[in-house]
Amino acid sequence: MSLPEVLPSRAEVIARVKSQGKRLLAVMPIHYPRALLRAYGFHPIELWGPPDAPVAQGARHFQAYTCDIVVKATSFLLSGGADVAEGILVPHTCDALQGMAAVLHDFVHPRQRVLTLYHPRERREADRLYYVDELARLGRDLEELAGKRPSEGEWTEALATETAATTALAELYRDRPRLALGDREFYTLVRSREYLPSEDFIRIASAVQRGAPRAADGVPILLSGIVPEPMSLFDAIHAAGAAVVADDLACGFRRVYEIPERGSALERLAASILDAPADPTRGTPLAERAEELILRMTSTGARGMLVYGVKFCEPELFDLPRLRHYLGEAGFPMTHIEHELVSTLGQQAVTRIEAFVETLQ
Amino acid sequence: MSAVAGIGIDAGSTTTKLVAVDGGGAIVAHAIEAAHPRVEDQVARLLDELRARAGAGVGVPSVATGYGRKLVKEVTRQVTEITCHARGVFAALGTPGTLVDIGGQDSKVIRVGADGRAVDFLMNDKCAAGTGRFLENTASRLGVPLDELGPRAIGARGEEAISSTCTVFAESEIISLIAHGAELGSILKGLHRSLIGRIGAMVRGVGLERPLMLSGGVARNVAVRELLGELAGEPVVVPEDPQLMGAYGAAILALESSEGRFQAPTRRE
Amino acid sequence: MSTTRPASLPIAPAQPAAAGAARPSREGAASKPSTAFRESTYLKHLFGYEILGKPALRLQRWRDEQAIRAYEPKPTDVLSPPLVCVAQMKELMTRHYLEGRYASGVKKVAWVTSGAPAEILKAFGFFLVYPENHAALCGVRRKTEEIATEAENAGFSRDLCSYARTDLGTVLSGKTPVGRLPRPDLLLCCTNICQTVLYWYRNLADLFGVPLVLIDTPFLYGEAQPHQIEYVKRQIEGIIPVAEKVAGKALDEERFESVLQHARDAADLWLEVLNRSQNRPAPMTAFDGFIHMGPIVDLRGDAVTVEYYRRMLKELDARVAQGVGAVKDERYRVLWDNLPIWYRIGGFSKLLAQHGVNVVVSTYTYAWGELAPLIDPAKPLDSMAKVYLHPILNRSPADKLRVMRRMVKEFGLDGVILHSDRSCKPYSLGQIDERELLARELGLPALLLEADHSDPRAWADEQGNARLEAFVEMMEGRG
Ligand code: SF4
Ligand code: SF4
Repeated sequence: MSLPEVLPSRAEVIARVKSQGKRLLAVMPIHYPRALLRAYGFHPIELWGPPDAPVAQGARHFQAYTCDIVVKATSFLLSGGADVAEGILVPHTCDALQGMAAVLHDFVHPRQRVLTLYHPRERREADRLYYVDELARLGRDLEELAGKRPSEGEWTEALATETAATTALAELYRDRPRLALGDREFYTLVRSREYLPSEDFIRIASAVQRGAPRAADGVPILLSGIVPEPMSLFDAIHAAGAAVVADDLACGFRRVYEIPERGSALERLAASILDAPADPTRGTPLAERAEELILRMTSTGARGMLVYGVKFCEPELFDLPRLRHYLGEAGFPMTHIEHELVSTLGQQAVTRIEAFVETLQ
Repeated sequence: MSAVAGIGIDAGSTTTKLVAVDGGGAIVAHAIEAAHPRVEDQVARLLDELRARAGAGVGVPSVATGYGRKLVKEVTRQVTEITCHARGVFAALGTPGTLVDIGGQDSKVIRVGADGRAVDFLMNDKCAAGTGRFLENTASRLGVPLDELGPRAIGARGEEAISSTCTVFAESEIISLIAHGAELGSILKGLHRSLIGRIGAMVRGVGLERPLMLSGGVARNVAVRELLGELAGEPVVVPEDPQLMGAYGAAILALESSEGRFQAPTRRE
Repeated sequence: MSTTRPASLPIAPAQPAAAGAARPSREGAASKPSTAFRESTYLKHLFGYEILGKPALRLQRWRDEQAIRAYEPKPTDVLSPPLVCVAQMKELMTRHYLEGRYASGVKKVAWVTSGAPAEILKAFGFFLVYPENHAALCGVRRKTEEIATEAENAGFSRDLCSYARTDLGTVLSGKTPVGRLPRPDLLLCCTNICQTVLYWYRNLADLFGVPLVLIDTPFLYGEAQPHQIEYVKRQIEGIIPVAEKVAGKALDEERFESVLQHARDAADLWLEVLNRSQNRPAPMTAFDGFIHMGPIVDLRGDAVTVEYYRRMLKELDARVAQGVGAVKDERYRVLWDNLPIWYRIGGFSKLLAQHGVNVVVSTYTYAWGELAPLIDPAKPLDSMAKVYLHPILNRSPADKLRVMRRMVKEFGLDGVILHSDRSCKPYSLGQIDERELLARELGLPALLLEADHSDPRAWADEQGNARLEAFVEMMEGRG
């Protein structure tokens, strides 16, 4: 069976999860502790836009220089798109999401409760201590919303399942050359994490056939950015003669966590996010991020980096000049395509992808 | 013909408009021309012509508005187009409400109070996505004459979502849609929807007070009218000469200043 | 992998060997700069700054003061003559930048964000550079476009905060209206104003190869939680060992306390200065406030800053006593939200004054005064943690709205201008709703003015001025 047939739709998942008596939480990008949500009986449905949401309702609250994720997600929420959810979790990813959480909380007053989570931007002792407390605070908010506290058993189950799902995702990336999946399918599967219950994800991800490793069917590249929307981006990359062999996507590899085995539940979750792959929204120093990317490109054979970035996204934009410098020194060309969150890939983007691939051949 | 009691001059970015009103506030003469780079000379000439046609003396009070208002000397006062549009539409339609004016450079939504004054207003940000230029540019790229834009959009069978907010991105998106064989009319409809979406955000921002009124040249565009009407939940009200409302409002203000009804605050240079 | 940087950065490019020697050794004790380097640097400092610079600036100030005093008001003036103390402010700020020119090798240099707990570094004797203030200065002098273009040419997007682009442009090209900025030995970045500064300072750290101390301040959607305060306190404590290492000496507790005391006193006075505008007519405009905030930002913790604001307050009190307003014919009183539009301060101030409008208060200038009561020199770290967690930009917009509502009452306002600053998302997101609420609930004309605080390319005079004037007409319409 092909992947799209196996994967249930968002609507199906929502209906099923609700019928199982779980509560739904709409979640904004990028990082959040899934196991914590699960322990309290919440199922996350992530909002990365969506691209087809009209801008008008969001534009009513946010200036034109606000990134599309915030504007469109707000439109989506206001048009009732997330009415099934009991709360909206807005992690503090950037100033734009800070603004979104604040505007929702202070002025818009949606039916759902607005939950927040402030990530530290370093990995010092103070950051770890704080983050554990901050996760505990989120836990208290969830407890209020759920009206209950997880039992020991629920915690154990949540941690075990989420650890397994995290591992399943990591294995997908590890086994990538052996998977019988095209790029678009691969990322459809990776992105199903955005709404699929973890147990389903584990099942589907581990059922993907592993064959003999094969070479990429095109010029191998690394794709960076927040979110590959529209997904036809992968078709365009393919048509241009390239293949995505690695990524630095906020909705992709940046969320390949490793949940450590030691420590309290919250310590483990805190560490999994703090020690996740490089991410400018979590404050990774530039040279460190460059080093990670170069390593990833070297080990996957990627020949260049395509940055597909959301317009007005400061954390991404600030890193580009120095990344270009470091990557250039290491012999990796890089190109940057800016996009709004839309359902049709712009012709300009197509042309630039083609041109970039031509330079890599 | 009744005597001219006030003259309004709207030196806009694309057109220059003049309106003369009588003591009762009715339009007795008007002129409209594409804006000339030398606004001052153009206005002087049009003013002479208008005066001759309407038989007005030089002493008639006048008010200038629009981008070029500062360049028009020898007027009683200069007033922004926000105030003038509010006044003009109020005089023409006789009702308070929410006024939309979609201009080439600027789009504005003005809440018109019970006395015809602007109570609140919002304007598009500097980017062109919320202005008439957004339509014009794309129309010319698609080779559709400006006055066919509306009918073709309204007559379309479907509607393509144009979700880019920036004109440059939108153009790129449209080229893709065409490459994928989308129908031109449907694209145009999506384009109008996108513009109206931006305007709608501003309408909600100042508050929708019925009726929703529309002025400016874009008011001739049937698709703009219909989509705005959908937004308001009732047909939009358009004055007879929508593109003259700025100049008309200016003329009304000129008339009022001569009657002492409008206290022009002292301004110093 | 290699972490090479551009071989020479234009900032303080002169003595590469010496600059290396000036850096602390790994062991933490300050290495002794070579004698030659020390002499030439100290001599330059001595001549350029102490012997020539300072007296020349004093003379200039004296001349400026004379000029202001001698000014004969013309009947066409819409604004009162500037405050006499502005001459001293100019002296202080110019002296600061002049000292910066000669600071390399003489003092340790730290670049810090405007909301950073810099008092500790001041107590260590660091020379402090505030890149935001420098960028604002570039804005006032209309240099932003040229300098920011340097950063844009290097790949920094025009959608990024114009302060950051200006600073990075200066770093990459050496262009600055102040002659030269000294190269940093340490970077101190506090996220209590935005995350932007973190991305920006990560770039600086990478370009200069110097340590970056981050003070991360959780955004307050509501009341500050104990764990958040504790977090900030721990980080502030963490500055000390790094600063000791770079400065090569231990923290002088006494000096620290006195710096804090000065900071507190200056902030108290600054708040009073601003509150003088509750008088009718207001003795100064918020535009004056923008200009006069230089010392409270850049020279916070210095005794001279306290003196300066004491003097300013006196001058304002004299104006109040005589009933002199900054705007001669003050008929409308207005609030300004967000950063100023640096390249149009003079123009706006005049344009509005022509219509009898005085912008009497701004949320921005208040940010450096409103937290003064929280500073407690007896409990330095605890009180600093609270102060640095609470700037207006680190609190929810509902809180800012409360502040604005209060100002409407206390200052008797007739209208509100919200500058929607393309560069500054934390300050601007939320303004659409704030504007609406102010307009609806208080029935006040409220204008959302789209611009950028220092990049003139985001501003069009025609469009912008028309909006300001329409706003004035709305106030006039209310009678
Ligand atoms: S796209 Fe960038 S700016 Fe927008 S929400 Fe994501 S991280 Fe923030
Ligand atoms: S202007 Fe705003 S975004 Fe820029 S540094 Fe200041 S607070 Fe940050």
